[in-house]
Amino acid sequence: MIVPDTIYGAILLSVIDFFLSIVVITGIGIVLAAFPLLNKVGKLDDEKIRNSSH
Amino acid sequence: MFEQILGFLQAMIDQTGITHVWWGNIVMIAIGVTMILLAIVKKYEPLLLIGIGFSCVISNVPGSDLILPGGLFNYAYHGIELLIIPPLIFFGVGAMTDFGPMIAHPKLVILGAMAHLGIFIALIGAKALGFSINESGAIGIIGGADGPMAVFVCVKLAPHLLPQVAVAAYSYMALMPLIQPPVMKLLTSKKERLIRMKQMRPVSRLEKIAFPIVIGIVVNLFFPPVAPLITMLMLGNLFKECLVTDRLYKTAANDLMNVIIIILTVGIGSTMNAEKFLTFKTIEIVILGLIAFLGGTASGVIGAKIMNLFLKEKINPLLGSAGIASVPIAARVAHIVAAREDRENLLIYHAMGPNLAGVFGTAISGGIMLALLGVK
Repeated sequence: MIVPDTIYGAILLSVIDFFLSIVVITGIGIVLAAFPLLNKVGKLDDEKIRNSSH
Repeated sequence: MFEQILGFLQAMIDQTGITHVWWGNIVMIAIGVTMILLAIVKKYEPLLLIGIGFSCVISNVPGSDLILPGGLFNYAYHGIELLIIPPLIFFGVGAMTDFGPMIAHPKLVILGAMAHLGIFIALIGAKALGFSINESGAIGIIGGADGPMAVFVCVKLAPHLLPQVAVAAYSYMALMPLIQPPVMKLLTSKKERLIRMKQMRPVSRLEKIAFPIVIGIVVNLFFPPVAPLITMLMLGNLFKECLVTDRLYKTAANDLMNVIIIILTVGIGSTMNAEKFLTFKTIEIVILGLIAFLGGTASGVIGAKIMNLFLKEKINPLLGSAGIASVPIAARVAHIVAAREDRENLLIYHAMGPNLAGVFGTAISGGIMLALLGVK
């Protein structure tokens, strides 16, 4: 066990987990903010994809 | 002769469950019936509550073989316990979900983490009540308002608490239309609830196809402990968005999902046996779960209000409550509360962004928790 099994450990775990979660999800947000750049690579036509499937 | 007949009758009665009924069974049967009534009369998540309620009733009828080893409800519970059902639920959810709102409005993604403060309030509360740190983590994750994730993390951290944690998580998820609105109203002004959101940009097919692939890689790379759930979510979503696997996506989103819901709900309800369930620990877990839901809703709304301090274009703070996950219930609640003030304020699509981010928020919190506690 890395975190001590005490109330101090619970607070420590909570603080680290909460702030790391915010950092990671902000990172996901940044990645998503870059998604419109994909549209510069090319465009997929829904109808063409559907028609090409079996 | 008369004594012999009486003896036969007594033996017959002993074989039934009648003589084994105690007040705990009556209480739990009443709880099960209440769940069924809430589902039918109030329409509170009938897909969840009917199965859980009925299974709870049956598992409290002494003598019912369905919950004993070899019984069908018992096998359903093993599916949950062995972590077969939670990833399959995520698979179906992925096939049913359009992640467009989350991709279109990445700023709102942060609400998916903000609305999870409830997890940590419950975690610290559980530790203060004398639960071990692993048990506290399992109880705290109820506040993620994500049933499969709560089950998943609980099995890893404290499998003996699975019945209480699963029941609290799913019951509160079903009761979110009752739990969330008072907190949302308390923390927002009418003016804030009336804020209308700007129309989102359209999300292209390429972005929608790239999303599950990118997230699948990120989650498996950084959060292997919770990767099975998110990976299945992304696989289901890829089936939906690639447009060439219509049969598979429709099966995952409809038939398979329905079968899994039946197994999940009867499996959870079957754990609500009075002897195991009516304990002081259960009461503590149920109260902590409620605190986690209330805390999560409040922190989401407050998080949105803090964001408004920095944003030029203000967001409706009700969106923050949707960050608690529980897709799409929390988004629907945010929409309904906003619509009560202004019928034409259609918040549902916008609320789906933080709501979906909440799924990732719970997974990330759970993954970090497992890593910090040294559990694989």
